[in-house]
Amino acid sequence: MFPIVSTTLFLPLLGALAVMALRRAPARVVHGIGILTSALVLVGAVWMWSRGVHLGGFSQVEQINWMPTIGASYRVGVDGISLSLVLLSALLFLLTFIFSAKVRERSHAYVVLMLLLETAAIGTFVALDALLFYVFFEVSLVAMYFMIAGWGHEDRQRAALMFFLYTLLGSLPLLLAILGLYLGSAPHTFDMRVWIAHPPLSGTAAMLALVAMLFTFAVKTPVFPFHTWLPAAHVQAPAAGSVILAGVMLKFGVYGLIRFALQMTPDAFRQAGVVILIFGVFSALYGAFAALAQHDLKRLIAYTSVNHMGYVVIGVAIAALASTPGVRALALDGAVLQMVSHGLVTGALFFLVGMLEDRAHTRDMARFGGLLKIVPLLGWSFVLAAFASLGLPGLAHFPAEFQIFLATLRVEPVAIVAILGIVVTAGLYLRAIGQVFLGEPGETWTGMADLSLRERLTLLPLLVLIIALGVAPFWMLDVIHQTTSTLHF
Amino acid sequence: MTQMAHDLALLEPEIAVLLTGAGTLVCEMLRRPRAAMVSALVGLMLATALSLPLLGMDTTVFSATFRIDTLSVWAKLILLPATALCVLLVRAELGGSDREGTVYSLLCFTTFGALVLAGSGDTLFLVLGVLLSGLGAFALVAYPRNDAATEAAMKFFVFASVTGAIMIFGLTYWYGATGSTLIGDLGRLDKTPYAAALGLVAVLVGLGYKASLVPFHFWAPDAYEGAPVAVAAYLSVVPKIGALFALAQVVGDLPDHSGWQGMLAGVAVLTMTLGYLAALVQDNVIRLLAYSSIAQAGYFLLGIIALGASPLALPSLIVFAAAYAAMNLGAFAITQGTGRTLKAFSGLGRGQVFAGVAMAVFLLSLTGIPPLAGFTGKFLLFGAAIDAHFTWLAVIAIINSVLSLAVYLRIMVPMYQTRDEAAVPMAMPSAWITTVWILAFITTLGIGLAAQSLLVRLI
Repeated sequence: MFPIVSTTLFLPLLGALAVMALRRAPARVVHGIGILTSALVLVGAVWMWSRGVHLGGFSQVEQINWMPTIGASYRVGVDGISLSLVLLSALLFLLTFIFSAKVRERSHAYVVLMLLLETAAIGTFVALDALLFYVFFEVSLVAMYFMIAGWGHEDRQRAALMFFLYTLLGSLPLLLAILGLYLGSAPHTFDMRVWIAHPPLSGTAAMLALVAMLFTFAVKTPVFPFHTWLPAAHVQAPAAGSVILAGVMLKFGVYGLIRFALQMTPDAFRQAGVVILIFGVFSALYGAFAALAQHDLKRLIAYTSVNHMGYVVIGVAIAALASTPGVRALALDGAVLQMVSHGLVTGALFFLVGMLEDRAHTRDMARFGGLLKIVPLLGWSFVLAAFASLGLPGLAHFPAEFQIFLATLRVEPVAIVAILGIVVTAGLYLRAIGQVFLGEPGETWTGMADLSLRERLTLLPLLVLIIALGVAPFWMLDVIHQTTSTLHF
Repeated sequence: MTQMAHDLALLEPEIAVLLTGAGTLVCEMLRRPRAAMVSALVGLMLATALSLPLLGMDTTVFSATFRIDTLSVWAKLILLPATALCVLLVRAELGGSDREGTVYSLLCFTTFGALVLAGSGDTLFLVLGVLLSGLGAFALVAYPRNDAATEAAMKFFVFASVTGAIMIFGLTYWYGATGSTLIGDLGRLDKTPYAAALGLVAVLVGLGYKASLVPFHFWAPDAYEGAPVAVAAYLSVVPKIGALFALAQVVGDLPDHSGWQGMLAGVAVLTMTLGYLAALVQDNVIRLLAYSSIAQAGYFLLGIIALGASPLALPSLIVFAAAYAAMNLGAFAITQGTGRTLKAFSGLGRGQVFAGVAMAVFLLSLTGIPPLAGFTGKFLLFGAAIDAHFTWLAVIAIINSVLSLAVYLRIMVPMYQTRDEAAVPMAMPSAWITTVWILAFITTLGIGLAAQSLLVRLI
């Protein structure tokens, strides 16, 4: 069978090599290569999607020996959880390349880094070898560091430094946990499938490994109080970087939470379930209230990410605490769908803020007003995305959050207080829309141009999918459910 | 074949290095510096080739006083090519200076000393190795004959004399307790814990100075700064790895419960932490790299501590040594071509794209970012430490890795800033330096991605 997973995984790397080889090519050609490559990656992801996944376990597995003496191999494959995230990543990267086709400043390096980031992101989701997973996980960090440091806003050096240090500190405990799991497995192997089928650690060792992993994924997700790197990184990152950071890289955290923490140390996870749930609830509420206090549109969206990721953490914790397989699957379905929805919605919002900032050179909400009349397309797109983000029925977040809360009520009804977060986000988005888009247009912004063709192309797929996922979530849920209904832990 | 001839045959690489040193000296006497360089390069490569057949051997020569084992063979395979790279760096920096050829010859003799250290089977060989690798090194540091170099060499020399004397003094306790100078007989120390501890402290002082472990590291930043960059690069790799391998030879034979692991763990924590903390405030890149190389020595100790307790220990030491040699020489080579101050690095990544990428790769590898050589090495070291139930030490090492990122970003951040035009103009790098960093770059990537080729010979 054609190795479609590996092909999809390494296509961006090939594209990056091509860009490096064409050092004298003009920026247009370079961006063309970026768009073409990422479009092919999307084709590959859709191909993987069309092949589908089995009920339970991993499908489309490809492997080659890498370091057989220590039990590490190149192993990739997908299940319902990772496949939906691969599809999301491939789409967001393509749109990001379209959006940033205007970048003229060091465009070669820009495209190379973005392509490297794409391989790292897809690799993180498809890796079935813990060492390989870690490699991709870290490479994404390096690429994002250079992204922020190279193309960010005024205070980018400090923000990039903080991002790199913070997330490296966050990811190194995972390395310890991986080593612990490796040394606990007999015979020693890095095969994640083996670790999932037969969790190698038990008792205190498992709990220690879980704590290390929780730390890593809490920083990455990010969960309150480990989120402090996020607003700074988002505000300083270029718009495209923000989209990838929020849309794709935050998912590493929750994906790892399910794939590693939940599946490889299940007993310890169940024991710590209530604590994790509390962190999730706090995170959801904190993110909402912190967003309420923001005047900077980008910071506001960054904090709503903390809120939305909080729901995902709640979903995973509820799944661990649930005693019946049905509720467990319900909670996990919601959590995974929430990741996809968040990628689409927050991706769209960060694109829109980027477009607004390109025109106005400010993100301060108080300085805008009445934009809906001047730039109706941009305005209505923002309204749609904002409504989706606050969980309006019929849009992407609703089915996800609904399932999470439903499962929560069945397992741990007290945790339903997190639903307050929805009320708060509704309030803050309405306020934001009111300040920025409603009212009488001010003198300053009268000449503002509406969305260009490139920008419309960037947004359209996202808005369509937000509605499609809200109205008919089953096309995505079917695949996710193949895996979540059979997870045994 | 007699025993003598048999033993000598196993020592072919060492003999080749010694003859190379002598031959290079003859070339210099004939005032043929270029021939001296070629002779050093050819000799070192030949010695490397002669070491290859010894792979997989585990034997001793001359009544167990010198070991031909995994550590000593890999020391040859790592240190000889590293020395050859240093020869190229020296050519770029000191080429055309008076007595250029002596430098090549001193490099060969010093490397010989490091190889003696790495294969020590007898405590007296430790002393001999420290002296051999020390004497040449003093002269190398003092070579420029200016105030800074002389002061650096003087400091280096005084430090060496004191620590060497302490080591010899302490070794007498081991001799007294075991009745033998053989390292293989150190197991007899289990009934005399105090003698064992005293001797170990002394060995730590002697070898710790050579490997620049905290608190015996004070000479290193000054010596590196005063010496030519090429010599600093050499000192940070060859004698250091020799001394660390010697330490591994010694502690591997100490009785298990003599507490040596705890003592080394303490030194490791100090070395990693203080090394990086000091590096954090340096503005001179050479000093920064000097402190970084001090801290890296602490990571080696993780593998040494796990010796005997984990099958990963020996492979981790060797993979990390190879990785360290490549990435550290690479970083020094680019520094040599760019300049000693952080300011000189501003805009490097934009002016010379490939050198910039290579430097970024070396620095990220030193931090331990996958999939580069430094990651593979550290990953195995951490695994060995956890396997030997030193998880807490691995945790501290990991926290230090974050600290190290802050250190290395101090070089990397200015590399991608717009270049200050008023600053020193970007020098055109010499072909020798470029050759060195390209080779180091390939090795750094290679060990990261294809570590299997090393591992398959080690496990």
